[in-house]
Amino acid sequence: MQSSVGVCSSSSSNWLFRFSAAAASLLPSSLTFPISKSSSSSSLITLSTPSLIPSPLRSTASASDSSHVTVMASNDAQDPRLPRISSAIRVIPDFPKPGIMFQDITTLLLDTKAFKDTIDLFVERYRDQNISVVAGVEARGFIFGPPIALAIGAKFVPMRKPNKLPGEVISEEYSLEYGTDKMEMHVGAVQAGDRALVIDDLIATGGTLCAAIKLLERVGAEVVECACVIELPELKGREKLTGKPLFVLVKGA
Amino acid sequence: MFSKHNAPKAEDPRLKAITEAIRVVPHFPKQGIMFQDITTLLLDHKVFKDTIDIFVDRYKDMGISIVAGVEARGFFFGPSIALAIGSKFVPLRKPRKLPGRNITGAWYLGEVISEKYVLEYGSDCLEMHVGAVKPGDKAIVIDDLVATGGTLSAAISLLERGGAEVVECACVIGLSHFKDDCSVNGKPLYFLVEPRLQ
Repeated sequence: MQSSVGVCSSSSSNWLFRFSAAAASLLPSSLTFPISKSSSSSSLITLSTPSLIPSPLRSTASASDSSHVTVMASNDAQDPRLPRISSAIRVIPDFPKPGIMFQDITTLLLDTKAFKDTIDLFVERYRDQNISVVAGVEARGFIFGPPIALAIGAKFVPMRKPNKLPGEVISEEYSLEYGTDKMEMHVGAVQAGDRALVIDDLIATGGTLCAAIKLLERVGAEVVECACVIELPELKGREKLTGKPLFVLVKGA
Repeated sequence: MFSKHNAPKAEDPRLKAITEAIRVVPHFPKQGIMFQDITTLLLDHKVFKDTIDIFVDRYKDMGISIVAGVEARGFFFGPSIALAIGSKFVPLRKPRKLPGRNITGAWYLGEVISEKYVLEYGSDCLEMHVGAVKPGDKAIVIDDLVATGGTLSAAISLLERGGAEVVECACVIGLSHFKDDCSVNGKPLYFLVEPRLQ
């Protein structure tokens, strides 16, 4: 399996989409951008033929302009469902603290077609891979993991913060920016020989996913792949996955 | 199953397996509580699917536009139901998880509203994005279990403050004292099974 297929950069939500005159002048004239103020799916960026792909245009948020504009680019033919998924994700600057561009997937969950497409993209990829376990990382992994597990016939196993799971658990400590946290999994939920996916909404530094991989491997499962809706590539989380492949739908700035 | 309205006459044959798939963990999170652990249900694909199917069959023709799931175990069930019936999924979250205003004070989808509530053991606070719901929305609330009804009451309150109409609250497990009345704060309550004792 490829490690990523047809990704596109996340854009700000349609509600915030502001396109300055200066930015527009930098675009090739062959590219047209029908920008609609509605939140419907038609308000998407239309690309011209693949040979005319521009390099991504980004404007970083300034103190006075809190919108974040990223033009979608693709390196190869991408799944036509991806643009709507990408634009359904809301980017919030400086949350929860300054410098963080928060990728809010709750707006994706409000777009029934985009949410369904998101699940379908994962299901299509994994349904014939004999996956027996979908491990979802608390809490946003609990939103995507169970529908995928149900569709592909796998068990769903929650990977939780400390002291939430009742009964016997195994724990794995992992690093945060400041300090550490712990992830727990139920003893007996996963067996040796299980083929597992790890699901979360987003991969940043990769610390959380790495902890999940370790827990699954400690009980003898084979981690087939990690799957996220969004990757923040600058944080290089992909390199922390102890060699496991990563599949994502959207790359965020 | 237990409901105020439209309860099926015969016992659904899927319910026995659902009950048996739930694990009881004694004295968690504290002495005296027989914790109803639904994670074992999630490990049984057929039983998990049956659970979702029962809720989907009930709600699919009721014009429900919002499925609100209570963090975190409501997230196990809510999204699959929402996807199957074509509704939006709205997470009702613990404090400070949903992004609201950032430090510059800029508005996005709308503010995050909070509702405090008392638990079976302790107290907590539930939050929702106001912009996620609008007047005219018909909502159901999903959680794994209803004990005192405190959490569901907070959820109902949040949705109503956002302008939605709460049609019903739905849980996998309901404590026995809910069987007779099947309601929470005047809203209908629907649940599949009672708690296991051991």
